[in-house]
Amino acid sequence: MGAKKNDILQGTLALLILRTLVAGKRMHGYAITAHIQRVSDQLLRVEEGSLYPALHRMEQQGWVRAEWGQTEKNREARFYSLTAKGRKQLMQEEESWTRLTEGVARVMRYA
Amino acid sequence: MVWGRMAWYWRIWNVLRPGRLQSDLERELSFHVRERAEELQAGGMSGEHAVRAARQAFGNYTAQVERTRDMDINDGLESLVRNLRQAMRGLGKTPAFTVTVILTLAIGIGANSAVFSAIDAVLLRASPFPNGDRLVKLGQVNPRNRDAFVAPPRLEDWNRLNRTFQAITGYYTEDESELSGELPEKLKRALIAPRFLQVWGIAPELGRDFSPQEEHFGGPNAVLITDRLCRRRFGGSANAIGKNLRINNISMPIVGVMPASFLFPDRDVDLWSPSPMDSPYSQSRETGWFTTFGRLKPGVTLEQARANLASVQANLGRQFPKTDARIGASVEPLKEATVAGVRQSLWILFGSVSLLLLIACTNIAALLLSRAAERQHEISVRFSLGASRSSVAAQLLTEVLALALAGAALGLAIAGEASRVFRALAKDLPRVEEIRLDSGIVLYSLACAIAATLLCGIFPAIRATRRNLAGSLAQAGRSQVSSRNPVQFTLVGVQVALAVMLLAGAGLLLRSFQELGRVSPGFDAEHVLTFHMNSSWAETGDQKGARQRLERVLDSLRSMPGVTAAAASMSLPGLPDQYQMELNTVEGRAETEPKMLAQSRAVSPTYFATMRIPLLAGDTCRDNLNTSGVMVNHSFANAYLAGRAAIGLHLAQPGSAFFPPGEIRGIVGDARESGMDREPPPTVYWCYSALQPGTYFLVRTQGDPKSMAETIRRKVHEIEPRRSVYDLTPLVDHISDSYAENRLRTILLAFFALTAVSLACVGLYGTLSYLVSVRQREVGLRLALGALRTQIVRQFLAQGLSVALLGCAAGLALTAVFGRLLSGMLYGVSAWDAATLGGVVAIVMAVSILASLLPAIRAARLEPMQVLREQ
Repeated sequence: MGAKKNDILQGTLALLILRTLVAGKRMHGYAITAHIQRVSDQLLRVEEGSLYPALHRMEQQGWVRAEWGQTEKNREARFYSLTAKGRKQLMQEEESWTRLTEGVARVMRYA
Repeated sequence: MVWGRMAWYWRIWNVLRPGRLQSDLERELSFHVRERAEELQAGGMSGEHAVRAARQAFGNYTAQVERTRDMDINDGLESLVRNLRQAMRGLGKTPAFTVTVILTLAIGIGANSAVFSAIDAVLLRASPFPNGDRLVKLGQVNPRNRDAFVAPPRLEDWNRLNRTFQAITGYYTEDESELSGELPEKLKRALIAPRFLQVWGIAPELGRDFSPQEEHFGGPNAVLITDRLCRRRFGGSANAIGKNLRINNISMPIVGVMPASFLFPDRDVDLWSPSPMDSPYSQSRETGWFTTFGRLKPGVTLEQARANLASVQANLGRQFPKTDARIGASVEPLKEATVAGVRQSLWILFGSVSLLLLIACTNIAALLLSRAAERQHEISVRFSLGASRSSVAAQLLTEVLALALAGAALGLAIAGEASRVFRALAKDLPRVEEIRLDSGIVLYSLACAIAATLLCGIFPAIRATRRNLAGSLAQAGRSQVSSRNPVQFTLVGVQVALAVMLLAGAGLLLRSFQELGRVSPGFDAEHVLTFHMNSSWAETGDQKGARQRLERVLDSLRSMPGVTAAAASMSLPGLPDQYQMELNTVEGRAETEPKMLAQSRAVSPTYFATMRIPLLAGDTCRDNLNTSGVMVNHSFANAYLAGRAAIGLHLAQPGSAFFPPGEIRGIVGDARESGMDREPPPTVYWCYSALQPGTYFLVRTQGDPKSMAETIRRKVHEIEPRRSVYDLTPLVDHISDSYAENRLRTILLAFFALTAVSLACVGLYGTLSYLVSVRQREVGLRLALGALRTQIVRQFLAQGLSVALLGCAAGLALTAVFGRLLSGMLYGVSAWDAATLGGVVAIVMAVSILASLLPAIRAARLEPMQVLREQ
């Protein structure tokens, strides 16, 4: 599969999910996709195929917690929210993301 | 934290219930697809199209479900469960193999756990008292005799002057008659020095300890009773407190009931009462009667306590040079004092069951090797499909683990039963009532199972997964046996060797027993009934009365029809019992002569006639108050009085108040009175016939002594209505009981050895059968080319027997090395007894022939054409 430009860089999906959940509202997977697309002005598109494995892995690692609940349309969905551990993880990932982008920006500038 | 644990819990749940996980996942993912479809529909797509587009966007739905699901399952855990399931399936297909392995392991682990539970209870676990490791046994050491009993004033001095003990106390026992019932009931009473309960750190379950007044001479009477007596007499209710027992016609109020677990000094004890240390009879420093114990202060080592008590006693020696100067003090851990006698036996047994387990494991390893070889093809297929070596090995090990766990579970059940049998057989073993299966034993069995897995499984797993085997796929089913299975046969050889070693040990012990039975003891133990009649130490103050009492009982016994002789003795002949003392002659001996050390026995003059010990010279002594006579045995006269006229000399024990100097009246034949397994030591008999606690009555009967028991009991009751008569037992039973531990050890070792031999034979049979099955083609070919069936039989038989022979040789070598471990337990045979070892080899070879013959014959019966067609 060739890289498309709206593919999310590997490893950043967790960061995006954590960032999305940091506001404190619990969200289901579909809402998380929608949120990321909307906020990024459709620049980023989350592949469903990556989203759910990522969410479940994050759940295993204790960054997010999941529970069944009702949507506004009274449908059953699995809602995710951030844990304290997830918050810490977000801080770390944000920091390394900043370092990465700064590094990349510098290289682009001088190379 | 809590969340983390929850996640772990769910993970396991997920593994165990994949179905549930699947449906939860599907619900979640299908929600997503539906939302997406609705959005598309809202954007103007038709319903059907929208759903399809949404699905398409989602990608391969099933793949997504699986990928996500993988995130939820801990990989290692799932593969373990998968391996286990596969193992169960595989084992279920070969029930004979599975059952054999599980039973073998169960016997190995079961026997091991049972013996370990005994070792744990008797040797390893701390004594059941609080801080039991600080309890020590004390004794006064006198170079002249082995009497460790401590004199009351000395006990009090030690307690007062030391700096290393919290408290020191002591006890002695008497058998009493309790007279409130219809017949006198025998109760065992421990008379205790102050601070008794304080030293043990145990408080009465009900009521209270003795008050200081009760511990003073002339103070109020009081007894503490055992839980058992309380139940028997008062139904176990609390209203026992304040009730009275009539001990020797003295009314004694019960002030407390001890916990059921507290049975000290031994499990026969019924009650405790104070022995006043300020009584007139407790003031002499010359005679001691207290068995003495102390509790160390926290942090005090044994060495410190020894040094401290030694210096205390040295000071006492300066203060009382006449009585204390030559006395020392001994200190040893209580546990050591209790179990020292059985330590070696238990470790020997443990060693043998460990060997048994090792044999079981070796056996299983050989079986697994054969099984792995049969599965070569399956394993090769797996390799070629890309399985890693570790995953195949893990699969093989899981199979063994499943077997080992099943074996351990069954083994625990066996161990439970076995330790019950053990408790019943070894009822005289110290601390035997503490033997039980607890969590420690369960853990131990599990550890055994895991060790067994590694032992049995690792090697076959390594061999089976050797890479080059992958190449064997090319050979397909046409297995050509190139190697002659040296590994399997080595394993079988090891089993045979270990089994030979165990069997040799058991054989040597059995032969010792036989030898012991053949020994002529020098006295006649048949047709002798023994019994006790209770009396108290206080009564011995009136020696005349005590003599008359004893004489009256002996006389009336002799007058009974069916009784030919009656005597009294302080110890039973034939039982291991030592009372060694240093003697001197009043007439003097040359300095150069050896020290006169002799076993000392106190007997009534009729003892020799009753026990049929022949009189060699002189007369039988007469006991009377003024002059006491002694008899010596042949070895005493030979060792110390050779060349002198022994009769008429006076023997004295310097410094003893108990035995006054006595004139040698006669010489009797040597008898093995201190134990059948010991040469008769030089012995002095003090003719003494006064009743005192512990006196044994010996009655020679014409018929079966047991049948006289009731008649004798009634007869004695007529003369002594206030005394209880108990423990009516034939002398031969006493003697045989005294070898109970010895016998138990022998029986168990023989049992383990026979199990080991059968396991080794099963191993030989299994390995040879396997060999026959893989070499069918070769055998078929040879038969087809005209080989004789007898040649085939001979070939396989030779293979099996050569392994067995090598195993025997190795086993004999091992026996030569480890045989000396047993040498202390052997009697009349050396650890390298040729007859025993020859017998062992003969047995093992005979069984090996049987085990090899069956597969060999099966090989010879093959139908060549059929075999060649099939392969």
